[in-house]
Amino acid sequence: HEVPMHLPCRVLSIQSHVVRGYVGNKSASFPLQVLGFEVDSINSVQFSNHTGYAHWKGQVLTAEELNVLYEGIKLNNVNHYDYVLTGYSRDVSFLEMVVDIVAELKEANPSLVYVCDPVMGDHGWQMDKKMLLPVYRDKVVPVANILTPNQFEAELLTGRKMKTEKDAVEIMDLLHKMGPETVVLTSTDLHSKLGDPYLVVLGSQRIVKPDGSSSSQKIRMDIPKVDAVFVGTGDLFAAMLLAWTHHHPKDLKAACEKTVSLMHHVIKRTITYANEMAGPGKKPSPAQLELRMVQSKKDIEDPALVVEATVL
Amino acid sequence: MECRVLSIQSHVVRGYVGNKSASFPLQVLGFEVDSINSVQFSNHTGYSHWKGQVLTADELHVLYEGIKLNNVHHYDYVLTGYSRDTSFLEMVVDIIQELKRANPSLVYVCDPVLGDHGSMVCWHEHNHTQTHKCQFFTEVMDLLHAMGPDTVVITSSDLPSRLGDQFLVSLGSQRTVHPDGSRSTQRVRMDVPKVDAVFVGTGDLFAAMLLAWTHHYPNDLKTACEKTFSVMHHVIQRTISYAHELAGPGRRPSPPQLELRMVQSKADIEDPAIVMRATVIS
Repeated sequence: HEVPMHLPCRVLSIQSHVVRGYVGNKSASFPLQVLGFEVDSINSVQFSNHTGYAHWKGQVLTAEELNVLYEGIKLNNVNHYDYVLTGYSRDVSFLEMVVDIVAELKEANPSLVYVCDPVMGDHGWQMDKKMLLPVYRDKVVPVANILTPNQFEAELLTGRKMKTEKDAVEIMDLLHKMGPETVVLTSTDLHSKLGDPYLVVLGSQRIVKPDGSSSSQKIRMDIPKVDAVFVGTGDLFAAMLLAWTHHHPKDLKAACEKTVSLMHHVIKRTITYANEMAGPGKKPSPAQLELRMVQSKKDIEDPALVVEATVL
Repeated sequence: MECRVLSIQSHVVRGYVGNKSASFPLQVLGFEVDSINSVQFSNHTGYSHWKGQVLTADELHVLYEGIKLNNVHHYDYVLTGYSRDTSFLEMVVDIIQELKRANPSLVYVCDPVLGDHGSMVCWHEHNHTQTHKCQFFTEVMDLLHAMGPDTVVITSSDLPSRLGDQFLVSLGSQRTVHPDGSRSTQRVRMDVPKVDAVFVGTGDLFAAMLLAWTHHYPNDLKTACEKTFSVMHHVIQRTISYAHELAGPGRRPSPPQLELRMVQSKADIEDPAIVMRATVIS
């Protein structure tokens, strides 16, 4: 059964669009809509498919064109959002325009929650995203409310290395100081007690109490590694974290368990199908590895829990 | 069900027209939807303001080339609606011809958006003093069959409804060629309640849902139409109620308030309760 949405909830998602497949807005919109969110989407690019295929072609949106679209929304006085969601950003000017838009939207609605995936790379820089670091660190993260960096990105933003769980906790606290009340380290190389086949996800939510004091809930999950390269999973993760923190605003444990569980179901369904398509002994292609999104509708609506988070 | 649709339509940041209107419901029904956005606008053009960018015929071709280079240009359906200009539409035609060569069973669902109650399509010319007879529309649909499509649905006509002024008449015709070469045609007629509001995006939703329900009922236009018209009814009713609630008593809802209640209609999209029956005629 699904949790009913009592109040209309509108998300502005500024991400890539691919004609075929599931990354960016293609990855985020359908699951959020299935969960009853109104999703306004600005497509930062339109490509035939994601860049992991042998070929890809398409067009990009400039920072100016982004501004024009936002102007249209504003002129109609419908620039009122409960959430903003962003992921991969192509260049500095585009990211800076996003920051300006978020700042204005926050003026229009001070309760707006900005969910930010600070995409810069993973175990190394993605293409030439080094220029984005200062913008993320100094301008974006300070206005983010929920941040979903991986280990690489968290280390870059804080200038600290993560070798132990203690390091991770300190890094999350540093990130809280920089802005976001909720931080989820979406994947780390930390050692898992369950062994090598598992990776460690950590989360921290800072709550400010009415008396002004603050406390934080920190959680850890050990989740099975997957022997395949998926694209779009980070975008799906951020979208579903938005949804489940919306339903469990003061319970990061519950929100993360649902989010991570849903990821598990989608990935498992995807791998099974991909291997079936590829045939025995053959490695599935990027096309075959596209997330089985529409087939996972029921899991999206009500993910069966397959992981339990430990409260630290 | 493994069924892939290529939908080439507009994208609006806010609201439900074009691909925004067609994708979610098709995905909810389990279709894989690849979407090429022919434009990206802030919202539909019925608002006071709208801004955005358009895709040229060349840029459309570039996107298709990307799909083709990866050898994933295999579709079961193509769906198109509003087209901006001749060059774009001609590129769409070229693409469809290639896709049909790649898959001869491909079904192209086309909403030939030209206008409504206007003079652009001669046989739809609206004339207050002369009501067309049903026979006229039967001939029109047969003419259209002869031009190509096996399935034709005239979403609204000026035929008088036996249920009265509050209803309009929709007609459908499906021509089937049997294995022995003989042909039969199923024609249906529906009396659909008129709605006192201007909606945008309903035509796009209709075409998408007709695609879905003719897919599930390929030889039964009656059922496909009943499901399609019924889902339209549920979405529109929900939208009107909400719009009036937002506007307040005695006030006319605005275009933003009249946006289709799409995500709220998921259950109706998945399994529309039948609220109107089609009559099989001749």
